[in-house]
Amino acid sequence: MGFFAPWFLAGLVGLALPVYLHLLKRQTARPKPVSSLMLFESRTQSSTRHRRLRYFLLLSLRLLVLMLLILAFASPFVNRNTASLSSARLVLLVVDNSFSMRAGTRLADAKDAAMRVLSGKGAARAQVATFGSQLRLMTQAIEDQSALRAAVQAIQPGDGHGNFGELARAVRAMAESVHTPIELHLFSDMQRGDLAVTFSDMALPANVMLETHAVISKAQPNWTVESVDAPGQVWGKTAKPVHVQAVIAGYGTPAAQRTVSLVVNGKTTATKTVAVPANGRATVDFPALDVPYGFSRCEVKIDAADTFRADDLRRFAVERSDPQKVLLIHNYGDNRSPLYVGAALSAAAQSAFALESIDVHEAADRQPSNYAFIVLSDLNTLPPLLENSLTGYVRAGGSLLIAAGTSAGARSQIPIFGAHIAETRDYSRVPGRYMAVGSSDASYPAVAKTGGWPGVKFYYALAVDPGDALVIVRLGDQTPILLEKRIGEGRVVLFTSGLDNLTNDFPLQPAFVPFIEQTARYLGGSERQGGARLVDAYLDLRNTKEHAQGVEVTDPEGKRPLTLGEAASAQSFQLTEAGYYQIRLANGRQDEIGVNPDPKESNLDIIPDDVLALWRGNGGQSAPSAQIPSAPRKTAQTLWWYIMLLMLAFALAESAVASRYLGTQREE
Amino acid sequence: MLPRFLDPAVLAGISSLELVAKTVVDGFVAGLHRSPDFGFSQEFAEYRAYTPGDDLRHIDWNVYARSERMYLKRYRGETNSPLTVLLDASNSMQFGSHPVNKMDYARYLAASLFYLAIHGQRDAAGLITFDDEIRNYIRPSTRQGQLHRLLAGLEQAEAHARTDFSKPMRYFQELVTRRGMVLIVSDFWESPESIVRTIEPLRFHGNEVVLFHVLDPEDVRPKLSGPSILVDMETQDRLEVTPDYTQTEYREKIEAHLADLRDRTQAAGMDYCLLMTDRPLDDALREYLTLRGGRN
Repeated sequence: MGFFAPWFLAGLVGLALPVYLHLLKRQTARPKPVSSLMLFESRTQSSTRHRRLRYFLLLSLRLLVLMLLILAFASPFVNRNTASLSSARLVLLVVDNSFSMRAGTRLADAKDAAMRVLSGKGAARAQVATFGSQLRLMTQAIEDQSALRAAVQAIQPGDGHGNFGELARAVRAMAESVHTPIELHLFSDMQRGDLAVTFSDMALPANVMLETHAVISKAQPNWTVESVDAPGQVWGKTAKPVHVQAVIAGYGTPAAQRTVSLVVNGKTTATKTVAVPANGRATVDFPALDVPYGFSRCEVKIDAADTFRADDLRRFAVERSDPQKVLLIHNYGDNRSPLYVGAALSAAAQSAFALESIDVHEAADRQPSNYAFIVLSDLNTLPPLLENSLTGYVRAGGSLLIAAGTSAGARSQIPIFGAHIAETRDYSRVPGRYMAVGSSDASYPAVAKTGGWPGVKFYYALAVDPGDALVIVRLGDQTPILLEKRIGEGRVVLFTSGLDNLTNDFPLQPAFVPFIEQTARYLGGSERQGGARLVDAYLDLRNTKEHAQGVEVTDPEGKRPLTLGEAASAQSFQLTEAGYYQIRLANGRQDEIGVNPDPKESNLDIIPDDVLALWRGNGGQSAPSAQIPSAPRKTAQTLWWYIMLLMLAFALAESAVASRYLGTQREE
Repeated sequence: MLPRFLDPAVLAGISSLELVAKTVVDGFVAGLHRSPDFGFSQEFAEYRAYTPGDDLRHIDWNVYARSERMYLKRYRGETNSPLTVLLDASNSMQFGSHPVNKMDYARYLAASLFYLAIHGQRDAAGLITFDDEIRNYIRPSTRQGQLHRLLAGLEQAEAHARTDFSKPMRYFQELVTRRGMVLIVSDFWESPESIVRTIEPLRFHGNEVVLFHVLDPEDVRPKLSGPSILVDMETQDRLEVTPDYTQTEYREKIEAHLADLRDRTQAAGMDYCLLMTDRPLDDALREYLTLRGGRN
């Protein structure tokens, strides 16, 4: 027996309190009237009598309640022999159905092994679960053999990436609610890639005994299409040829020639042969990807030469569409910002965007929803009609780039964006006469390729209160220069300086073109469309939960996995299967993506036996328990639950006894 | 007997003192109807030889005709024996460890005695309420409405000060002029010697004197669960007393006190009756009737 938290035993000092109350506290007597004191004589008790313990039963009960409370905090446990608890144990059968189990007959072998364990489990309760990217329980803890066997038979291959750390975490959570010992049988191909980052993540609780059942004994060679680099969108009929680059990887393979094919909408459009070095990688380049208008389902395939055929292809989707229109609204007479923005867009974005620039007076009759995004450049005034129209456009999913410029300094806040303007910063008056960028968020798409805008000189900027907006770039004096805010389904990016080469020299710097290009892609939404994703990745469906517009997801099997309630409110969706998903987002945009299993699943290398033995031994024993199955295992059984029950009983008894004594005192 | 109607706890629920008295006496009389002691109506008692000076009207002439000797025929005739109740209304009479305190018990007792005397015996009845002074005096009378006056006097008797027999006793002798029965109802928290010495003169006047000693059960056996401060209800003196003392020495003292009081009163030719407030009232009524019978 021991204590999980022995330092709480120091609370035993508190037992002195009831002793003090019962022993040392002087009894106070209320005067009692009598008819006459004629026959009475004065008598006082000796000091020892005063100090005599009163109400022994009550004192004992109070001491017991306090002692049990302290014991419960100290959390005592007893080490019980697991063998003696075998009748109360839970047999947990976990069958790995991650993507790698599709290779050969691995899943069938794992199910057979699970059946054999089920036959020999005796009368113990058992539970069947599958394990891909996370643990999924197939049954409750039951003894019914037929139901358990049916659950094992019903296990289907999955596309997820196994992670033993996730498995251990789920089992730890289960062990907290199941107080009986758990016998965990893991049926898996024991892929090395399934190991957690650190071994401590895979630690199992003391009452869990792990037994591993590896369905293969050695690593198998495997070729796979590791990755495909292709654009998600192609614009216009006369677009430049699009390159598709694929990486072919071999794991444990000899040097070999592999035939690689590019398939578009089921038709093989190009075939190449590539020499893959032993246990290495080779790159294949398809120079021209020709796809029709709309979404095309594309694949890069290699010829089958191993037992794991499911990973011989990699899917991606490409959309061909006309260039998207971008509207730039500027002040009357301002020719500089259309010039710089237009030049940057045409230089970088492969004709993806067609810029249309108008002055603010012409903007009233334009329909914002016809544009991929809108740029507001240094506007003196924003007519209320236009402001309302743009606000509605953003809420419905449109995007806006606002360059505040010098004219916004007269206002108290930025229109639509809503940020309060604290002050204007005129850096031409400070020593050095300009301010450079101080810090930037390198993970943000619009600044990721620009290296943090080196060498850009800012002469003028607005200091705004960011509020709940995301600050992406700050100047050297911490003035936010680039901010983003999500309003409704749309995005608004605020540039607190100008795009006109007057308030800064940004348009003349090399960073300006990639900034405009990436911002255009980001705001136009093209960076989110098409392309490929990995299984178990999450897809953003909407920005705000309140939006009533439903989304629609169609999985590779043509089913709609979202319920009506989820379609109306879900903000994200997990891609659980490999294949092509069709999506209609809350902002009305259509999308199609190819979903591929995690490339780590293609590496069929297995975990070394010594690592597995270490895991089975709970990380603390060098000798694997599987080798000494008859050795008695001690399991710590916590007793706090019983102590709390006992304490409740004593507390009730104490209440009853105390009320009786108090009643006696009242009569006195 | 119907003890249910004599139980003080039951009587405490009856608000009208007359009803209490009627309930007690009727219940008591109904229980006594088979008693051989009962009956003192006008009936033949004895023959006695004539002596000169006797009233000639009482000579039995039939006997003279047969035997030529003159005998007087004597009857056990009714007599009027005025009843005076001296009720102690001191503070100590308010003590009670159960719903009926000593004062209530004394009221019930006095009311019952009045009822029995006036309705049963046609006797004159009077009341003197005292503590250390005479608080109220209703002279004995057989007039109509006397019972109501007495009951009203009992109702008004409120416990005031401390008991002091010596002071009001001087007036008792002046007020009790006719020979009769004097019943003193008190808890007698005085030394027996002093009590007897003070009351004795009443006996010398030819009265039948009875001491009804009313005590609460806790006066005899106090219950203390621990060391307690006791407060005298009359003097407000305080005393710390332990349970050990009340269970040993006090009991011996109170028993000696009661025995002493009983012995001294009987030695002085008076009757003594100890009444506990948790006991029915019939003991007191029986005592009264026994005395009343003896006076015929």
